[in-house]
Amino acid sequence: MAVIEYFRAMTATSNNDRESHPSAVVLMPAFNEAGAIGQVIADIQAFIDLPIIVIDDASTDDTIGEARRAGATVLPLCTQLGAWGATQTGLRYAVRHGFDVAITMDADGQHDARSLDKLIRPVAQGLCDVSIGACTRRGSALRHVAWVLMKRTSGLALEDITSGFRVYNRQAIRQLASWRASLLDYQDVGVLLLLQAQGLRIMDVKVAMQARQNGKSRIFHSWLTVFYYMYHTLLLGLSKRKRARKYMNPSEITG
Amino acid sequence: MVSLVTGAIGLSVALLIILLVRKDRLHVNHGMRWVLIAAGFAILGFSPEFFDQIAAKLGLAYPPVLALTLGIAVLVIKILLMDIERSHIELRNQRLIQRVAMLEADMKKLRAKDAE
Repeated sequence: MAVIEYFRAMTATSNNDRESHPSAVVLMPAFNEAGAIGQVIADIQAFIDLPIIVIDDASTDDTIGEARRAGATVLPLCTQLGAWGATQTGLRYAVRHGFDVAITMDADGQHDARSLDKLIRPVAQGLCDVSIGACTRRGSALRHVAWVLMKRTSGLALEDITSGFRVYNRQAIRQLASWRASLLDYQDVGVLLLLQAQGLRIMDVKVAMQARQNGKSRIFHSWLTVFYYMYHTLLLGLSKRKRARKYMNPSEITG
Repeated sequence: MVSLVTGAIGLSVALLIILLVRKDRLHVNHGMRWVLIAAGFAILGFSPEFFDQIAAKLGLAYPPVLALTLGIAVLVIKILLMDIERSHIELRNQRLIQRVAMLEADMKKLRAKDAE
């Protein structure tokens, strides 16, 4: 709990003394998650006292209302930008408001707030710039095949490329809030290769994930979307492929 | 006869472009490119020997092949340029949508502060 306490203290003092006390924010892209988002926000708030920003990706249900009632700040997108476009909106908001650390989590309850301590620790200790909550046991056979293909073509030596459960430090946030990152459509291969190309260190951290409380995957729900996604991602991975950096072993995390 | 038809098409396209620019239906930047293409058509139509000479220099036995190949190449380049431009527009659009969402959230916070 030490790291969480550290971040709580940082956030509490950040408005007055931002220079010496960095601050953190939770970013949550959401699309039609009215059924689950209230509980997901409550679960996070029970565990960590950080501002929660919900980026509503033009939902047609009451996601905005539920998120506001639960105490989150909502960034309402007037047109659907997809999961990455929504996440990037949150990252731009983090830059605009001077946050130093951004934690991205799904709004469907898959990501367990209790894993935050473990995920934040390597970034807080300066061991890496981005930590990814990896749970390779989850997902269908199709998702596992997709992972293998994406890793082969992009050269990324990471376990869970598609996980949206991540912690970014200030350098990573700045890179991903840039115009260049707006050209990306998904948060996996393109985002990770962009970070890697800028010399930022990415680390997998094994975490447990839960079943979705509501809804379904926006990609892995039909063969057509999977085909489009794979073609898009493999082409991007091949065109931006660079020599893979040494995989950072989670056992390097100390404390 | 074919040459005359091709030349007439070139002139008609050039006139159409001028009309579209005049009616504010086409930006003058795009009109400039299209007028050049129309001029190419007109040259091809009214002076076919011009292409014949170039084709002969390139060693092409059948000169119209040169015109067709050039035409297809110009079209492919134009379509590629259109996609590049579309990517820029999509990018700017996405950044604007994101900024509107951020401003809306900030505005709501300020209003809540004012109401307190």
